[in-house]
Amino acid sequence: MAELLFVAVALLLGLSALAGALGVSLLGGKFLEGAARQPELVPLLRSQFFIVVGLVDAIPMIGVGMALYMLFAG
Amino acid sequence: MENHEESRQVVHGTVHGVRSTSADKQNKRLALQFFRILFIQTAMVSLLSILGLLNSLVTAYSILLGGMLYLLPNIYFTARALLGKQLHEPKQILARIYVSELGKMLLAVALFSVTFMLVHPLSPFSLFGTYILLQISGWYLQFGLNNRFQKL
Repeated sequence: MAELLFVAVALLLGLSALAGALGVSLLGGKFLEGAARQPELVPLLRSQFFIVVGLVDAIPMIGVGMALYMLFAG
Repeated sequence: MENHEESRQVVHGTVHGVRSTSADKQNKRLALQFFRILFIQTAMVSLLSILGLLNSLVTAYSILLGGMLYLLPNIYFTARALLGKQLHEPKQILARIYVSELGKMLLAVALFSVTFMLVHPLSPFSLFGTYILLQISGWYLQFGLNNRFQKL
């Protein structure tokens, strides 16, 4: 049973990390594309990028929190 | 609409060589708006924690811990990404936001681990409920912050 708990925690942490990394890297790529296409809009793009990065990592962080709860308190 | 005006000012500023001043102003305004959101969320956590006291002390401090687990990494992220020396190169901006995001995640993981290892007893429903509520309120407040974002 304990082995299954570790597998579940590993899956939760791994998938959360993968989702967060994919989201943030795609956003970063689009930010650079936008900045290269219209350099005068960099401050505006920066604001949008900052806002969306904060939104993207929300669900992965909830997953990480639950995985750590299962690991330490479970 | 307000941001559209800002972008026009920035474009206009580029022509007259004052792009950095306009960008710095926009950046400071963004930082202020984000800190205002974090302040509203801190007030929400305090209120919820006081309401949690009506149930039990464990519920109250679990709510408070859930709030701190959300707020501390976000304050770090906002301060690291938006305050300090102003950058104008897209690659430097990207690197700073990536490093801030990494720091935020590491801080969140460390705080979660320390909380679950050291705090007993704990009400997980209250802790995660507050954490998720703050994430959702953060989305709502950030969407409300930027009208142009809703049109994209």
